[in-house]
Amino acid sequence: MSGPYFVETLARNGDVKQRQRADALPIRIGRAYDNDFILDDRHTSPHHAVVEFGADGSLQVRALESRNGVIHKGRRQTTLSLDGNAVFRLGHTNLRVRSVDFCVDAETADTTLHGWEGWRPALTGLTMLVLTTLAGVWISDTEKGEAIRYLTALVAMLSIGLVWSGSWAMVNRLFEGQMRFGRHMFIPACGLVASEVTSLLIAIAAYAFSLETLTRYDNHVAIAIVAAMVYFHLITINPNRTRRFALAAVLVSLLGSGLMLMVNYQSGGRLADEPYMSELLPPSLRLSADKPVSEFLAGAEQMKADLDIERGRDVGNDGEGEEEPE
Amino acid sequence: MRIISYPALVLVCACATAVFAADEPVNLPTPSSSAQRLYASAKGDLLQLRVLLKSGRTQSSVGSGFLIGTGNLVVTNYHVMSQIALEPETYVGEYVDTNGKRGAVELLAVDVLHDLAVVRIERKGSGFFSVPDKLPALTQGQYLYSLGNPLDLGFAISEGAYNGIVSRSFYDQLMFTGPINSGMSGGPSVTVDGRVAGVNVSKRLDGELVSFLVPVRYVRDLLKKVAAQKSPPGDFKPVVGQQLLEHQSAMMARLDKTPLTFKVLSPYSVPVWESDQLRCWGWSNAKQNKPYLIDQVNCAMESAVFVSGQMQTGRVSIRHKLIRSSDLGAWRFAALSSSLFKNQSFGSHKDMRFTPPQCVEEFVDNGKLPMRAMICARAYRKFPELYDFALLSASTDESRMSLQSRIDINGVSYENGLRISRIFLEAASREAQP
Repeated sequence: MSGPYFVETLARNGDVKQRQRADALPIRIGRAYDNDFILDDRHTSPHHAVVEFGADGSLQVRALESRNGVIHKGRRQTTLSLDGNAVFRLGHTNLRVRSVDFCVDAETADTTLHGWEGWRPALTGLTMLVLTTLAGVWISDTEKGEAIRYLTALVAMLSIGLVWSGSWAMVNRLFEGQMRFGRHMFIPACGLVASEVTSLLIAIAAYAFSLETLTRYDNHVAIAIVAAMVYFHLITINPNRTRRFALAAVLVSLLGSGLMLMVNYQSGGRLADEPYMSELLPPSLRLSADKPVSEFLAGAEQMKADLDIERGRDVGNDGEGEEEPE
Repeated sequence: MRIISYPALVLVCACATAVFAADEPVNLPTPSSSAQRLYASAKGDLLQLRVLLKSGRTQSSVGSGFLIGTGNLVVTNYHVMSQIALEPETYVGEYVDTNGKRGAVELLAVDVLHDLAVVRIERKGSGFFSVPDKLPALTQGQYLYSLGNPLDLGFAISEGAYNGIVSRSFYDQLMFTGPINSGMSGGPSVTVDGRVAGVNVSKRLDGELVSFLVPVRYVRDLLKKVAAQKSPPGDFKPVVGQQLLEHQSAMMARLDKTPLTFKVLSPYSVPVWESDQLRCWGWSNAKQNKPYLIDQVNCAMESAVFVSGQMQTGRVSIRHKLIRSSDLGAWRFAALSSSLFKNQSFGSHKDMRFTPPQCVEEFVDNGKLPMRAMICARAYRKFPELYDFALLSASTDESRMSLQSRIDINGVSYENGLRISRIFLEAASREAQP
């Protein structure tokens, strides 16, 4: 370890806020103006610590006269050996000292599409929003061609889309200094298309293979898609924290699904979104075999036992005194 | 055109919840001399029956009643007494006679199906109203006089004509074309010579002076039952439940005797029961400027059994709806038929009178028509062995045509519910029926 040295002030998340070069040891740190590294932190003493070589020849920081001391990993230290990665705290200030021969990490591959910024993704996103909305209105439009229905749906969807994307762009600007509106526009458009396509695929699969359960819980897929949208917005703002954001998105998705189950249970007495599958698609999509009537009725007969158990259950004020049949 | 066939029938009991416009002027016809004479001799045995909340003793509903013979038995409608029968812990009854004298009433027997009840009071009748074994024969057009306490205004007599037995309701009722108002329920309708012809029970809201009476023969039967029983039942709920079970067997037996009629909703042929009790009405959106057509057949029983103000049961209704379009493509038609098939209610899971509904769904094929079908059922909490059924089906053979049906069966045994469901599932077809 040899000079020159760099003293770095770090933010809580590890980002370097300030970096100062010191050509030789010792480096005196404190609030007083006769220090080599001056702290503007009223929780530090005028002469708080000094960076120097220790008895074994390694770089170390030594605490001087101070009320709050040198803190490393939550513990107060009198001396602390500095390997280039050790972060110590003086008052409210996090510091790191590295010598000029410190080995930095290898270069990270750049996966960002730098051309996919600005008007390109914005326009693509808008086009996707418009087309999906129009398709949605068209498929359910059973009146005779009223343009106003398409217009109102478009205006509503575009307003929601712009407010959503605009909000994320503002957050982006706040934290990272740039809007990246185009990308934030493209993400919800992808989300909308994905949710439409998945719900259609789910309906087709349920209808084709008699898998009614699929349509009863398809709102959870929509929730997962919203969580994924949030994830992509977040990594657009800060691409360095993918793992943390992924975890947040999974949590959001689980919370949303849990809430949905609770709301369904409270309002409808069941966890599913609907009591039965209402999708009636073109019959040519049917692949699994239809059941005979008697088999279906045998299934209906099974419900009696559950109903009778439920009837016998005490439901309080109005259900008391259940009589058995005579 | 009427698109729903549910009759605007109202039971003439001045319940707090009655759909009755109490502020409408009541135009009673001027009493004739025979009406004056009848009222003068009948008023001693005429009573108003009130159902009171036990706490606070405020009245919850009022009706009328009449003392039989020289005994202490009073005949009224079941629906006047239903709260006392089903919730004796909350409600209590009292009578008020034409002199304003009050006293307690004790419920002895109920006949839910014909809407009759017998109560006992601590006063004796003068013998004016009697129910002999041999009942008077009535001829159409004959004057009848209906007595009671309309709208809690005071005792009254009104004059009208007997117009035969109506077969629209499940059990025989007499048609009385005279004014019967809320509060006169349970009062007697008598011939000019004072013989009881029936008990005031209901009127049609969509007509003028179309009222109904329970024939006196059911009163006679119920009084015989009372004479035979040692003591009144401690709890009327099992009695009501038993009668509802009898009703559903009778209903099923009658439906079994009614052959299925097939209505053609081209190209489909749909089964309905059409009889005096089950009336069918058709509806179509043909004139509306839409790119699809809906033709609908609704059949429903015009009467139901009154159990309580919140529960009428023992009823079947059938709805077939054919949706077709030549303008819409297969996918747009799929969106349309799905939206019409969606969001059908099977009752709230919070409804404490029933268990939450349980449903099964399946793609089925009866050999003639592939369908998407589901059955939802719920049990009556207070009445064992009784269930409500809803059968939903939608044809899955055409991409631009959808036959959607809903059959509601209320207050039946599980077995009968499934039987009716089977009949309808097996009968739907594409071919014309012979």
